[in-house]
Formats: sequence, C-alpha cells, structure tokens
Amino acid sequence: MKYILLMSGTKAGVDHYHAWSQKDIQTHMAVLQSINDRLTESGEFVATQGLVGPKEAKVVRGEKNGIPVTDGVFPESKEFLLGYWIIDVATPERAYAIAGQISAAQGPGGVPTNMPIEVRQFATFEQSGSK
Amino acid sequence: MKYILMMNTMRAGQSIPNWTSKDLQAHIAFMMNLNKDLRDSGELVSAEGLSFPDQAKLVRAGKNGVPITDGVFPESKEFLAGFWIVDVETPERAYAIAARASAAPGSGGAPLNMPIEVRPVMSAPPPEMM
Repeated sequence: MKYILLMSGTKAGVDHYHAWSQKDIQTHMAVLQSINDRLTESGEFVATQGLVGPKEAKVVRGEKNGIPVTDGVFPESKEFLLGYWIIDVATPERAYAIAGQISAAQGPGGVPTNMPIEVRQFATFEQSGSK
Repeated sequence: MKYILMMNTMRAGQSIPNWTSKDLQAHIAFMMNLNKDLRDSGELVSAEGLSFPDQAKLVRAGKNGVPITDGVFPESKEFLAGFWIVDVETPERAYAIAARASAAPGSGGAPLNMPIEVRPVMSAPPPEMM
C-alpha cells in the first residue's frame, strides 16, 4: 500500500524555521536522513522531496487568451506543503509509525518538533504511473 | 527545472463528487490524456491521485515512540487531491501545464478552472542544511 506523508506549514512557520541555528538545522536534517536510510534498507522507501518556500509559489487558474492566469497572493493562514515522503508499507499502522518518527525529529535545542504529518493513501484508480 | 503542480481542491469529509458517471469518465479521460502528452514530451516525472480526505490522518510523535493519530481537521483545511511533478525548461511552461489541468471538465463538461499551486521542488537540500 502506497502512502504519502505530507509535511506542511504556514509562512510564519517557514520564517521560524529559517531562524533556527545552523547546528539545529543540521541535526534536524541528519535525523530525517537517517529515517530515509532506514526506509531504504527496509525496502519501504519510494520517494522524498523538499519544496521551495512559499515565496516562489504561484496559483494558476485557467487561462485568458492562451496565457495562464497566475497569482502569488495567499492568505496568511494557508498551509504550504514543505516536503513529502512516499512509502510502500504493509499496513496503515506502519505508515503512522513512520510519520511519528518524522514528527519526533529534533528542532531547536534538541526538542522534538512534534510537527503534524498528514498521512494519505494513494488512490489506486487514479495511479497514472511514475516514470 | 522540476516543478510540482498541486490540486488542493478537497475539503474535510469530501468523498466522490456527485457527478454523473459520464462526467466522471470525461474528467478522468482528460487527465489521462494530459498525462499521456506530458509523458510523450518527456516532461512527466510522476502523477498521483490521493484517496479522499475521509481517510486522512494527522500524526504527531507521541511519548515512548507510539504515534498519536487524529482524523479531525478544520473545515477550512485544503486537502491535496493529487499532484504532478514535471521537468520543464521554464516556469512559464509549468504554469501553462497547470492552466491546462485547471481547465479539466467537471459536472456537465464545464471547465472546473480549479486552482493549481505550482512550486519548484528542491533537487537537493540547500548547502547550509547539510
């Protein structure tokens, strides 16, 4: 069963993250890297990706005279996807356990961020296949 | 340059839309056709649809390693319905693909004009994070 683990945050949350010390960021990234390594070893890893910050986000809606209508203004409360993991696991509980490990990754001062991770299963009927 | 195109179109509790099966088929055929064109042009990296929000869980780290799961979301929350990752030459090309996806037909065949969020994906974490 394929699941996607979505890490999201508001613009304020992203600004807060950018204020972390370099050491805190490195520790945090090292924990995430070790989670990726273990998922690779267990054969559950499919993909992971970090996204560029909200400043570079655009929302596109239809087009006018063949030109896409783009807008870069979002409500302050909007949650932006920061990154995701795609995993292939035997049970939903396993997906929740991995999300729990990601949520437990240390933030400033070594305290777990306890960041909420949204867990969603892929819809098999719409899987159009990855290259 | 890799971009992600996100359909953040679902809301909490939403399930299969109440469209006729003909409308649903037309919608899915449109999406399959879009994916085929992107595959043919070599721009498609991946495309996935997600299950409906009624199956979504929010997970936080719990004490002693047991995850805390919660399935209650604010009504205003946007849910990811699906996404494409495309590898394109310019941001404008990513916006053009998003505009095409935005115009997918809905009930009665009218274009949905749904908002598609477009963001670059990072090829590697920035050096200061390693």
